[in-house]
Amino acid sequence: MANIKLDIFRFDEAVDTVPHRDVVAVDIPETTTVLDALEVAKSEVDGSISFRRSCRSAICGSCSMNINGVTGLACKTPCNSVMDESGTIKIDPMPNFQPMRDLVVHMDPFWDKYTRLKPYLQPADKDSDHQTERRVSPDDMKKLVDVANCVMCATCYALCPVVSVDPSFAGPASIAYAYRFIEDVRDSKKEERLAQINEDYLWLCAHCYACSYCPKHVDPHDRIIDVKRATVNSRVMIKERGPQHALVVNRTIKKTGMLAETEVIQGTIGRFNIKGLLAVAPLGLRMLSKGKMPPPFLKPIPKVDEVKTIYDTLEVPVT
Amino acid sequence: MSSTLLPEERANDSHKRSKSAQSNRYGFFPGCVAKESCKELFNSTMLLADKLGIELIELTAASCCGASVVNDTNRDIGRVLNARTYAQAEALGLDDIITICSTCTGHMRLANKELLESEERMTQANAILGKFGAKYNGGVMVRHLLWMLIDDIGLDNLKSMVVRPLNGLKVAPFYGCHIIRPEKVNGWESARNPHSLEDLVIALGGEAVDYAGKTRCCGFHIQLEKEGTAANMVGQNMRMAKEKGAEAVLTPCPLCHLALDGYQEDSASRWGRTDLPVFHLPQLVAYALGVPAEKLGLNKHLIDPRGIMVERELIA
Repeated sequence: MANIKLDIFRFDEAVDTVPHRDVVAVDIPETTTVLDALEVAKSEVDGSISFRRSCRSAICGSCSMNINGVTGLACKTPCNSVMDESGTIKIDPMPNFQPMRDLVVHMDPFWDKYTRLKPYLQPADKDSDHQTERRVSPDDMKKLVDVANCVMCATCYALCPVVSVDPSFAGPASIAYAYRFIEDVRDSKKEERLAQINEDYLWLCAHCYACSYCPKHVDPHDRIIDVKRATVNSRVMIKERGPQHALVVNRTIKKTGMLAETEVIQGTIGRFNIKGLLAVAPLGLRMLSKGKMPPPFLKPIPKVDEVKTIYDTLEVPVT
Repeated sequence: MSSTLLPEERANDSHKRSKSAQSNRYGFFPGCVAKESCKELFNSTMLLADKLGIELIELTAASCCGASVVNDTNRDIGRVLNARTYAQAEALGLDDIITICSTCTGHMRLANKELLESEERMTQANAILGKFGAKYNGGVMVRHLLWMLIDDIGLDNLKSMVVRPLNGLKVAPFYGCHIIRPEKVNGWESARNPHSLEDLVIALGGEAVDYAGKTRCCGFHIQLEKEGTAANMVGQNMRMAKEKGAEAVLTPCPLCHLALDGYQEDSASRWGRTDLPVFHLPQLVAYALGVPAEKLGLNKHLIDPRGIMVERELIA
């Protein structure tokens, strides 16, 4: 048995203006999960401690919270893996959400983004006109298995640094779930879905891999790349900045072997998009004043033809 | 003092002692930005190599690593472009490629991992490389200069080489996502609590500032998608560093450098003025090892680091 001190964020939006913290000590085996430790604290010490939970086995996705600065499922986190030398564990609500009561947060923004995807199958014909079940080959299903493991615990959304400053971004889970339907052979709304997720700022993903700490190993980041690729290849929203950026980067590498910064900036924003170019002009002028400007034209690397051969063989789109 | 993980816990190759390390002849992949808008990074790396007595052999015919963007159009392009670079290193007898950019590190290591773990992918890459007579045999590893400094030169050794200690300059490390995440690709140190940059700052006589922003994203890759959002990511991180008493920032990544150095001005309206000067990794190491400050391109930074260096009596 160990004496574990849970240092808990306390706040009730109905009565509090500012949060405070309570330290609750419980005597439990140190291999107990953080969720079970909270259950003991609630049943034996303070019945008002609030948190969401249900299955206690990483299936329901209810108990994601911030444990010693790391967001994850409390039911999957043993106390002895996170407590400090004094046996203390700091527990906070998930970041990127508005706290409601203690460790319970308002999940609405997360669910809103998910609902916008129309997260259900939309086949080309009605079920009533369909004589047999809609069959999917094992190979087609394989692509969807990982992402179907998502339990919508919102850990990735809480970890996402883009969401933390720009709530208009769909967030990792929604995009991974969009992939689940975009790649489903039974679905008929691929282009509409791609357009929708592009509207919800698919291209605001900053490639930071913060979402690689998915408790269910969904790897939303890799699915985000898949959805971007589907966007470029289906040429949905092709004139927008995201797809144009991907294309111009490839174009300059194919031509010079290098990512040509000047051309990438112009190509992404649009050479004739005066308003867009003016928006980046102040930074450009500051850089110019320090003599810190990328060259307007790049000399191709030696044997750049080899790079061109690679691009042509793989048939990579560049325009 | 060492990185968080024991050698046997580190991802695949990153603890191996390479032939290059034994002979002090490394392959060098500077990446695009160090050759374009951050030339001061390239120059200070070469000056540092001179001081350390190591030879960095630039892979001049190497292409861009793919910068985490090329895969947005095609699943294979990044991997094959990098296989071509590895083949060039092998042809020069080099088995260790040193990078000076977090994104190059992550993207090149991911490509290498995919090639080494799948015969099918290696065969695909070599079928294309074969069209111009090249072949990758799988004998290359990719490491960041930061890892090389700590594993091959050693912190104690570096400390003994310091001729101009940093006089307690309060330096906030900023790692850059792709040198730490995903852990299965990098894995040289803990991605959640890395401390190699802190160890280095201390070895150079500075004070390391711990803050939550050090492992977060600089927003570089979305600057052209939505400038305001990218600027806010910079402001948020720099505010955290400032509040912990940082006087300067140290980063192993030129993309982070462009973001942090360039966008603090634009983020000031929401996050308040932070004005933290940002050093490239080799600039600060080279300075402490005695490379004249005026050779390090500090005048190219938008937030001039020379002010705080004068204040700390590092330069006159």
